[in-house]
Amino acid sequence: MNVLVLSLALFIVSLLIQLIIWKIRIPKRQTKALLSLFILVLIGGLFVINAISDHLDVLTVKSFFEYFHICLFFISLTLAYMITYSAIEVDSPSLVMINAIAKAGPKGLGEKIFTKMMTDEILIKPRLADLLNDKMAYYDGDRYRLTLKGILFARLFIFYRKLLNAPKGG
Amino acid sequence: MLSHNWFQIFIPLLAFILNVIAQIFLSRISENIGLLKSIIYAFGTGFCVVILGEIYMGVYYSVQNSGIVSIAISNIIIYSALGYCYFHFLNLGETARRIRILRELYESEDGLSMDEILKRYNAREIVQRRAGRLIKSGQIMVKNGKYYIGTPALLIMAKIIVAMKLLFLGKESEFDVK
Repeated sequence: MNVLVLSLALFIVSLLIQLIIWKIRIPKRQTKALLSLFILVLIGGLFVINAISDHLDVLTVKSFFEYFHICLFFISLTLAYMITYSAIEVDSPSLVMINAIAKAGPKGLGEKIFTKMMTDEILIKPRLADLLNDKMAYYDGDRYRLTLKGILFARLFIFYRKLLNAPKGG
Repeated sequence: MLSHNWFQIFIPLLAFILNVIAQIFLSRISENIGLLKSIIYAFGTGFCVVILGEIYMGVYYSVQNSGIVSIAISNIIIYSALGYCYFHFLNLGETARRIRILRELYESEDGLSMDEILKRYNAREIVQRRAGRLIKSGQIMVKNGKYYIGTPALLIMAKIIVAMKLLFLGKESEFDVK
């Protein structure tokens, strides 16, 4: 019971701290800030659990395996949450399309209006700016080029798509 | 009280590795199976491994306590979270605009200007691809040149995401001015 309860408690504490920080000021690089925050909560939480375990009869963690299990549980949830958070941070075109169609109601959304809403300024340019912000690409003269980080990311996805016999995607 | 051991901790990790291997295997042996089905079948394979592993642990220890149940629940959550991450990793390669732009830049030796990027990948292509996927999956319908909501699954997801955007960012879209 200890691993389940303590891991979930640490995760909920992380979410609450995130909410408080985000209400004060939203970080510029949200994913990086989120990762740092959750790791800090995990490390701090493990110290607190270790300190109070000797004084409590319930929710005590004694073995190394339990600490390891808590880390595994918490990191899995954190990664899943970070991936979900990327859809909060950045608008997903599919979800924007669904919302726009839903807002149009029973009279439907015309194809022309739909196409007008989805421009390069909304769908492409902000994502290019993200690549610059995340230091995966840089602007050189009038051309965009990849940094080493960008090349490694591109290679990872190209390798995996080839492994699955999948086309380019997007 | 049931004590922890390495096997219990490695059950969800082992199941996740099997999930990934099964998904790659299914994608490679059959072109007809489709990405989503390969992900679902592979996830199911790993899930069975978690359940069998937990049953084995329960029988092996043959003890009646809440420990085995809570560890089993923990491992199911860990495996599901890892499976969810893998699904999104595959989805990134399939649909993410940033990854597609990265690929376009990677494939051009001399980099690309904005115009060249937009010739290779643009809003029109994004809308066509996504509308095609949404129609194919029944999420939206087209009648007389107009789009309508089909099955509500993605709409529910979209509403949850909007609610979370409002909670954390205080706005519905990244383009809204707060």
